[in-house]
Amino acid sequence: MKKYLTKRALVSVATLFVILLVLFILMDLMPGSPFNDEKLTADQLAVLYSKYGLDKPIIVRFFIYVKNMLTGDFGISYTINKNFAVSEMLKGRLSVSLMVGAMAMVVGTIFGLILGIASALNHNTWIDNLCSIIAVFGVSIPSYVCGLLLCYFLAYKLKLFPILFDRGRPFYSLVLPALALSVSPTANIARFTRSEMIDVLNSNFISLVQSKGVKDYKVIVKHALRNTLIPIVTVMGPLLAGLLTGSSVIEKIFGIPGIGNLMIQGIQFNDYNVTIACSFIYSIIYVVIMFVVDLLYGVIDPRIRITKEGA
Amino acid sequence: MKKLLGVLLALFMLVGCGGGKTENNAPQSGGDAAPTASQVTVQVPADIMSMDPQYATDGQSFSAQNLCFAGLYQLDKDGKPVPDMAESVDVSEDGTVYTFHLRESYWSNGDKVTADDFVFGWQRLTSEALASDYNWYLETANVVNGDCYDTSTGLTPEDLGVEAVDESTFRVTLTQPTGFFMQIVTFPSTFPCNRAFYETVGDQYGLSLNNLVFNGPYNMTSWDGGYGYSFELSDKYYDYENYKANYVEKVNFRVVSDTQSALMDYEQGNLDIVNLSGSQVMANKGVEGFTSNLGSYTYYLLINNNYLAADANQATANINVRKAMSYGIDREDIAKTINDGSVASEGIVPFKLAGNPVTGVDFREEAGAVCGYDLELAKQYAETAKQELGVDKISINLLYSSDQGDPEIQACTRIAAQLEEIGFEVTLNPQPKKTRLNVYQHVDLAAGDHGVADFEVSLTRWGPDYGDPQTYMDLFISKNTSNNQGGYWSDTYDTLIKDAEAAGTSAADRWAKFIEAEKVLVEEDCGVIPVYQNGTAMLVNPRLVSGIEFHSASVDVYRHIAVK
Amino acid sequence: MSQIDVLDHEFEEDDFSFAHDADAKLVDKNFKATSYLKDVWSNFIKNKGAIIGFVIVVFFIFMAIFGPSFNAHTYKSIIKGHEYLTPRVPGLQKLGIFNGTYKGYNMYEGDLSNVFYWFGTDEQGRDIWTRVWSGTRVSLIIAFAAVIIDICIGMIYGMISGFFGGKVDMIMQRFAEILNGVPTLVVVTLLGLVLPAGMTSIIFALMITGWIPMERIARAQVLKVKEQEYVLASRTLGASNFKLIFSEILPNIFGQVIVTSMFSIPNAIFLEAYLSFLGLGVPQPMASLGSLVSDGYKSMTTFPHILLSPVIAMSVLMLAFNLFADGLRDAFDPKMLNK
Repeated sequence: MKKYLTKRALVSVATLFVILLVLFILMDLMPGSPFNDEKLTADQLAVLYSKYGLDKPIIVRFFIYVKNMLTGDFGISYTINKNFAVSEMLKGRLSVSLMVGAMAMVVGTIFGLILGIASALNHNTWIDNLCSIIAVFGVSIPSYVCGLLLCYFLAYKLKLFPILFDRGRPFYSLVLPALALSVSPTANIARFTRSEMIDVLNSNFISLVQSKGVKDYKVIVKHALRNTLIPIVTVMGPLLAGLLTGSSVIEKIFGIPGIGNLMIQGIQFNDYNVTIACSFIYSIIYVVIMFVVDLLYGVIDPRIRITKEGA
Repeated sequence: MKKLLGVLLALFMLVGCGGGKTENNAPQSGGDAAPTASQVTVQVPADIMSMDPQYATDGQSFSAQNLCFAGLYQLDKDGKPVPDMAESVDVSEDGTVYTFHLRESYWSNGDKVTADDFVFGWQRLTSEALASDYNWYLETANVVNGDCYDTSTGLTPEDLGVEAVDESTFRVTLTQPTGFFMQIVTFPSTFPCNRAFYETVGDQYGLSLNNLVFNGPYNMTSWDGGYGYSFELSDKYYDYENYKANYVEKVNFRVVSDTQSALMDYEQGNLDIVNLSGSQVMANKGVEGFTSNLGSYTYYLLINNNYLAADANQATANINVRKAMSYGIDREDIAKTINDGSVASEGIVPFKLAGNPVTGVDFREEAGAVCGYDLELAKQYAETAKQELGVDKISINLLYSSDQGDPEIQACTRIAAQLEEIGFEVTLNPQPKKTRLNVYQHVDLAAGDHGVADFEVSLTRWGPDYGDPQTYMDLFISKNTSNNQGGYWSDTYDTLIKDAEAAGTSAADRWAKFIEAEKVLVEEDCGVIPVYQNGTAMLVNPRLVSGIEFHSASVDVYRHIAVK
Repeated sequence: MSQIDVLDHEFEEDDFSFAHDADAKLVDKNFKATSYLKDVWSNFIKNKGAIIGFVIVVFFIFMAIFGPSFNAHTYKSIIKGHEYLTPRVPGLQKLGIFNGTYKGYNMYEGDLSNVFYWFGTDEQGRDIWTRVWSGTRVSLIIAFAAVIIDICIGMIYGMISGFFGGKVDMIMQRFAEILNGVPTLVVVTLLGLVLPAGMTSIIFALMITGWIPMERIARAQVLKVKEQEYVLASRTLGASNFKLIFSEILPNIFGQVIVTSMFSIPNAIFLEAYLSFLGLGVPQPMASLGSLVSDGYKSMTTFPHILLSPVIAMSVLMLAFNLFADGLRDAFDPKMLNK
């Protein structure tokens, strides 16, 4: 296990390193420079390039960046907040983004489980059909459309929630964005739970438990549910990672100063360091979650661990 | 599961608190709190780029700086310079030496505002180390050795023609009389910089509230990246009593990039001033609080002449093609479509930029329309052009910004449809603004490449840096290689501009020459094709008795907001 | 069944009687052998949701082809003075719906009294009906093209990786993993910027990461199939690797691949819409469902009709694809039917 763990961790780090390089190259391919403006002359540009070391070859810049990054220095912003340390800019925004993401995940998990379990227990009845239809709707409707609808009806028309994010009451004002974001995880988890639960309910050990005379609800809670939940934890990981990246449009709609919004701005303004830092944070989250999921798989299903070790 | 939930909830709490603490040791900005009588909340599309007056480049930053910093003079409601930090100014007889007498006012840390702070600010602006985008600003104003930012001149900022005669006397020497100099000293780039304070914070100056010190009527009290920033009245400012009696105590800015949610939030009473775009303008025209203002940007079609040299078969090399385009564009229709207060351009110099120095008549009014819509004429020119080129359809590639909001996109869609009516075939080529500008310059510094720009026709814009036609006229002289991106070249035009700007030219004569030059550029050569002058439409809460003051050639002033 | 313990008991003649007609013979019924595809088909048509989804998809494809020519407008024809008109449909306008009113007043008064726009017009005076269907066309082309390319790359990549295994597999999987490690939206957005605006660029951007799920499935299926006897048999008979992959393994994983691709079509439509929202979608005046939604969004509170038709079209289309794909999956995998 230890050997596998180290190997897997090393692969993750290498992956991140390559991702960073890819990001750097993409950034270099991006047309325009951060200092483009109608009024800047070529001479001024040259001065700015040398001031920020952008006149050096990309490989040199890459290694300088990696070296600085290891000390927690993500460089400075060229346009969005001129000369600001990117790490400072990220601090406040990352926490908000994580908060929305986590809220959405909790909501999504709870609703997803309820829907999934309800349809599995009432398999092939109208309840099952209804839940499945809700789940299909959830997968089909983009989160920002939901965001618009929620914003318009619940916040604007009914005035139940604030339209924009409010620093004074972060939790309350993040309810709508979190709801909008939770639609897709809800649907995905519901579908997955349903099929897992049906599998478990049809399995022999449940029949055994039932024939032993254990009460119905106990069968469900103690035996079926527990065995369904474990694999679901593993799909939650990728969903969470997707959630964080997909939030930029929602952040825009609800005026949330989050990292998704910052990344889009960075891309639009050619703010290299900001874009790289934001993208890279996403990559880190993604790779770490994948790593954890991989480990969880191993813990849950020893067969996978063994084959992987064999490989 | 319960455990997991518990952990997640705890995480929320932590994150929630953490979020609150990111504000820079300041009280809650209260951006969304219900507005009380003494504060207003203004929607802005993005965060401030810089709070360093000498380093900033964008209007929004300048406007914010104008709240918490003060220059020698400030603009009044009508755009006339009136005293601010300076009590009065003496101008020498030949108009080249300006002596400002400062009044007693203090920085927010208690230091007195001195002439040396101005000297330091101005030298900083031109220093090579800062590499400010506005380092050429004093050169334009003809300050002695204003070109010292360019190291190849061998000059340093110490050589700049400014000096602190004593603690409260600041003197500027110019190379020649400059009519718009008093406009220059109201602009944030010329604001003072507290030398003693700067030396304690060094290059961290302006990067956080702790590293800023203010001398304006307001102090910046919070700055929450991406969320908002706010200002409160400063009792160190010399005019504090007046401000306290008449104007709001607190001005909040809330960053909302989405105009849709901003408008909804305005309608719920949380925001006091919001910008409107597209259909919002049309739907809100009758609403109380609707205001639209004429901006000062001229949006025009840049025609690439450099390209022509490389490829002589280029359609736009043909004067009749350019004339057909100029007459074929229905500018009124475009302005009506954009519908935010924009107006059809009648020349490259915008309306209400500057008045004749003698008579005070607006330049545009005096010069008249040098471009206009005439479908029949356009068709004739197009026919001639087709025969000359030997083609059935004139193909044009139109480059424009895809990420600068609706007006530019709408204008170009409209232009394409209008030109197709007179037998053109227009390919729209939307690019992010950065890319578009890069296409113009086509500069690859790493490769040392200063090649020829690769575009045909492009919608671009220019905003004035000071209230004088010169800010536009200088763009198209052939030696201005950096800003004359279309590579327009006309000896007649060059001579006219050179004569106009020569030291001996009288103010009236200078004006007449500018008018003539514009005619050559726009009407005769169609070297550029002006399209529209931008406008801004906004909703302002009716409880505001006075709001933002707009200045066509300078920053928008938020200093004089008052509520009922 | 056959072994019943018989107690020590004397049976009488009439102890037993035939439960059924004594003449009836037990005959082994011979069902006609059904092919795999027929099986899939019969499973598929039993699924109501899938049929509905399929019909809607076909309807959208039909409308994408013919819808824009139902009236005289084109997706880029601008009519001055016809901006922001609300929907007005002949016949229905007398019933009080689709009658071209806006906040109570008739927008079609005067010169426009004989003008009808079924879905209304947008801020430039363009017919939304035509734009929605030509937008559907563009979105479908982008989605199908991206998915077809995904299938080709993903399947070949996955099959090669799975089939050869060992070092080849390791290197190929690490590569895919790295590509997968960069968040899709980041890659798509950056590519949207790097490439010139246009449909091909969007397709390319979607393709870059879109093939990975396909590759995973292909690889997993190959790993499952490759050790089976028939492949072994074929190999022993001297089949080349190439032949093994394409004539023995490919047909057996094709069902799975089709199902995955059907699921990735709505995903591609969604990503395209996301790009449009960031201003990186198809260039004006061309329209896609995504760009129509993001344009209409700007008028949501003022002229909601501009947003409504593309949003409904997009959501219904995605729904239909999901239903269809669900049905297809169940049909290809009979095990799922019992669930």
